[in-house]
Amino acid sequence: MTATTPTESKAAITAFVVASRYLPVYLALLLLLVVAAIWAPAVLGSVQLSAIAPYGALLGITALGQMLVIMTGGIDLSTPGTFTLAAVIMVGVGQQSDDRIAVAMVTAIVAAALIGLVNGILIGGLKLNALIVTLAVGQVVAGLVNRYGRTFAVQSPVPTGWSDWTSTRILGVSPVFWIGTVITIVLILAFRYTTVGRRFQVVGSNPVASRVVGLRVNLNQISAYVVAAILYAVAGMALAGLLRTPGISVGNTYLLGPIAAVVIGGASLTGGLASPLSTFAAAFFLTGLNQMLLTMGLPTALQLVVFGLVIIGGMLVSGDRIIKGVERLLREPRRPRRTNSETTNSSIDGIG
Amino acid sequence: MKRSKIVGLLTVLVLVVSACAEDAGDTTTTGAGEASTTTGAPAETTTSAAAGSTTTAGADNPLADYGEDPTAADQALVDKALGPVTPSDDASWNIVLASIARASQDLAAAGIDIDKAMECWSQPECDTGSGGDMIMGYADGGGNTVNVWRAVSHMEAVLQALTYPEIGTIVSTAADFNPDPAVHINGIRFLIDRGVNFIVGYPDFGVALRDVILEATAAGIPYTSFSAGWVGLPDQEGALVPGQDYLTVVGEDLCALGDSFSGILNEGIPEGEVALLGGTPNNALSLGWQRCTIGSLGESLTLVNPPPNDDTTTGDTNWYNPIIPDVFRGLLTTNPEIRGWAYEYADGMLSGLQAYEELGIPVANLTLALRTDEQSLFCDWVDRNEPTYKIYFSAGGNFQSRTSVTAAMMASKGAEIPATVIVPHVMREVTADNCDPNRVNPVVSGTSLVPDEALALMFAS
Repeated sequence: MTATTPTESKAAITAFVVASRYLPVYLALLLLLVVAAIWAPAVLGSVQLSAIAPYGALLGITALGQMLVIMTGGIDLSTPGTFTLAAVIMVGVGQQSDDRIAVAMVTAIVAAALIGLVNGILIGGLKLNALIVTLAVGQVVAGLVNRYGRTFAVQSPVPTGWSDWTSTRILGVSPVFWIGTVITIVLILAFRYTTVGRRFQVVGSNPVASRVVGLRVNLNQISAYVVAAILYAVAGMALAGLLRTPGISVGNTYLLGPIAAVVIGGASLTGGLASPLSTFAAAFFLTGLNQMLLTMGLPTALQLVVFGLVIIGGMLVSGDRIIKGVERLLREPRRPRRTNSETTNSSIDGIG
Repeated sequence: MKRSKIVGLLTVLVLVVSACAEDAGDTTTTGAGEASTTTGAPAETTTSAAAGSTTTAGADNPLADYGEDPTAADQALVDKALGPVTPSDDASWNIVLASIARASQDLAAAGIDIDKAMECWSQPECDTGSGGDMIMGYADGGGNTVNVWRAVSHMEAVLQALTYPEIGTIVSTAADFNPDPAVHINGIRFLIDRGVNFIVGYPDFGVALRDVILEATAAGIPYTSFSAGWVGLPDQEGALVPGQDYLTVVGEDLCALGDSFSGILNEGIPEGEVALLGGTPNNALSLGWQRCTIGSLGESLTLVNPPPNDDTTTGDTNWYNPIIPDVFRGLLTTNPEIRGWAYEYADGMLSGLQAYEELGIPVANLTLALRTDEQSLFCDWVDRNEPTYKIYFSAGGNFQSRTSVTAAMMASKGAEIPATVIVPHVMREVTADNCDPNRVNPVVSGTSLVPDEALALMFAS
């Protein structure tokens, strides 16, 4: 048996800290399952879980986009606009014709990518404030959506083939869930095994140092906004299919939910590391929580209060807040308590 | 003797002349969009722009003094809009009929330019072309691009306004269901600042609009709501008093509507679970009928989502289709055996049926008591062809915005408007006839009085 050196001990603690920053969301999910099992056990039925899976995935896909932006130290408030634009493009370009589904999808993705590019250039290139820029771009997009929405009949449906496909079941679950799962896996693999993915994480963690070593920080930021916007569009198109008749405000509920999912998933709003799996899990936590509150039959006011309090609680224990405290305790030996006389003397010294 | 003969002859002459004058007035009609022709009492003659109908004051037309004629209402249109109802109180019923009397289905014959109607419907402001001095304000918490019901109700109000040559401008605002009450408040405040003569609208945020509606009233601008859009029910905290704080509420007797809903559920479901749904949390419309439905539900029925108290709505869906399936899923997860639903919004019910599919619950042994009559649900009902699935509805009530316009115009001419203009209702069972597959848009209510030619333009792809 070999004795652990101080260096090895510190490395173990560091590894534990890094791994554990994503732990709270899984604990929260576990807690949610326990609470649901006690107060709303019906929610945990396979059919019920299958029913909410696509909606959890929608939030998850949107949150993954937001996660990419947050990893660069930015934030994206244009999410609802981009999301809605993609949904209404499925109606407007789709023209209720299955033959036009592909055209509509390509149009929605290209339009979203352009929105992301504008965000990226203004923030990554011109160094404008991400919060204000994306809010403003989101308003512009909302205006365009409103205008575009007048070019076809209100409450018009998406092509039947599209809505039918989103409502089908693959292994008992909506394909929307599987799309979200695939995107999550792709991001995990990209971060772990590709140079681009690793660079992306490095740049997000320390943009100054990255610039010094020659990494293209601006391009990284711009790419994040473009990919994020494409993910919002994917979610928007999927929701349009699930709802059949998406309106021009269909994305309004996707402004703060994705941000909450990213933060509860362990990411820091100041940028840096994040976990796609934890973010996707956090999205399911929020969706499950919402459904459980509805199932419990709480009045709307109480639902909102409980939902808000749980998010605050989730944020308090998310990321590395708690584990950093534990780490501090483990790393830093306690200073010897000063005696009263020492305290008095130092006070006197301070005054003098 | 001679003098008395002369007096007698003169009297006869005067009578003949005045009789001839009356005849001439009866046949006078004005052209498209021309001003009403009104002569003094007692032989007052009014020609409304709508369908060129001519009304004569007298015992048969109680509203002649205000340029309206309830007796001219086409019974077919009354039936279409309301069904076989028992009339409400005379004061209310006359205003309802007067508004339907202007709802001509032949726009050209009524002198209404359909392009102008489309312009006024789609633009924030339009000049009606009548040269009238009055400005109508239309404040919608929803909007044309969000919801078909709102879009159609807006057009009903526009078409009604175009029958009044006094109205020269129509200004419309829409809050697009924005969750921020300030957006709704700003819409009404804009209309006040614009100097409109009256405002017609649906107050989605109820009591939250209290101050701005009082501002309107203080500025001499009557606010008239439709679709039972109370600015707070009478016993709600902060509620305004219609007839005092604002002109009037046009809509059904909410308690009677609630009783009708419970009557349908009581009769259609021997025993079992039922659920109630509503719109925005604590809105007056939902609260009004839900209170009475709950109070009159049969003992054999179990309400699965009772509200926590009398001042709170239950089953809040915000009338917002994207979240409606969530609400249904929540209720059905713990209560898959629900046998009946009461709700205002038929198209929202269709969104909710999506949860049945997701949860694998068959749409059978189900009774729905609904207020509106969007065909989308009814055509879905036809497709399902399930004999144990029954739907009952009242009426979409789109035309009530017309009644609000008429009430406001009557008030501008000095008429006493009841604090609540009660629109009668009757519950009808859905049959295959309620689905018209050739209708321009399946989400349009069958009871709307907007002519098909206008609907075709409104909802053209």
